[in-house]
Amino acid sequence: MERTSVKIVVAGGFGTGKTTLVGSVSEIAPLTTEEVLTEASVGVDDTTGVEGKTHTTVALDFGRITISPDVVLYLFGTPGQDRFWFIWDELAQGAVGAIVLVDTRRLESSFPAVDYFERRGVPFVAAVNRFFGECAYTEDEIRSALELAPEVPLVWCDARDRGSSKLALIALVRHALGRLSPARA
Amino acid sequence: MPFDVWDGEDESAGGRFVPLYVLVNGRTSPRDSRLDLATQVVALPVDTRLLDAEYLRIVDQCGNWISVAEIGAYLQIPLTIAKVMVDVLVEQGYLGVGTPAQSKIVDRHILDSVLAGLERL
Ligand SMILES: Nc1nc2c(ncn2[C@@H]2O[C@H](COP(=O)(O)OP(=O)(O)OP(=O)(O)O)[C@@H](O)[C@H]2O)c(=O)[nH]1
Ligand SMILES: [Mg+2]
Repeated sequence: MERTSVKIVVAGGFGTGKTTLVGSVSEIAPLTTEEVLTEASVGVDDTTGVEGKTHTTVALDFGRITISPDVVLYLFGTPGQDRFWFIWDELAQGAVGAIVLVDTRRLESSFPAVDYFERRGVPFVAAVNRFFGECAYTEDEIRSALELAPEVPLVWCDARDRGSSKLALIALVRHALGRLSPARA
Repeated sequence: MPFDVWDGEDESAGGRFVPLYVLVNGRTSPRDSRLDLATQVVALPVDTRLLDAEYLRIVDQCGNWISVAEIGAYLQIPLTIAKVMVDVLVEQGYLGVGTPAQSKIVDRHILDSVLAGLERL
């Protein structure tokens, strides 16, 4: 049936503004859905093995933007904690790419996200969230701290501002388009 | 700068969480399904009188196209379970399913229209 979903992942360290960015561009108030996870161990593929294992509920927030009558863009924020890689895999699978939010007060907190998308070859842009207007670092300093490859775009943004968040999304889609093979333009 | 927070090695001992294994209608998850959390579904014009209440709640939510994630959020059903239940409803002909996110990813036309849509915002 003709109804297409497109995903973009909004990632970054704890408290970097992921939910704020999703909320500022979404056409609906951000929704929250939960995934119940269990700690993987031997025998987990057996229904009886679930009992007694650690269960964790992970909340995901997301928003949507209707692109056209038959295309909807979903924006998914990653959970604040870095350890739920299964969820990251599920979000990244088939996504256009990711926006990695960076808080300049804690640059290193966004490194796992950069590393994750880099390793999996998922297109991403780094969006530096200017919490207090001023930024103590130059673009080059941020790039080298996060080990950003030269082709990865870096944009400055204010996640609270719809226009600014929109520009970060546009930068990502352009970057993803640029990585498609030019053969069938 | 020390980057000691990364523990996402695929084989690392800590932090390997997987979705809860669930049994719904004699079927288990995760299973090979085309459904992504962003895949949208819509109610088909069929008789729902034989449906169990918890399935009917889902079909009632699908008057317009809606994603699996939205169903989970509105009905407060964990994603893993929402996915399996929606899959059952699709298979039984109660819901029509749209194109999942992953199958269109390399499609330049889709990216072009997403870009145009964002620029219009
Ligand atoms: N000044 C300023 N504050 C911001 C900005 N973006 C987010 N905030 C604030 O920073 C705090 C964290 O923002 P969230 O959007 O909740 O961050 P998050 O990444 O979703 O956080 P977790 O999900 O807990 O990891 C909130 O209090 C926001 O209001 C910004 O651009 N400028
Ligand atoms: Mg958040």
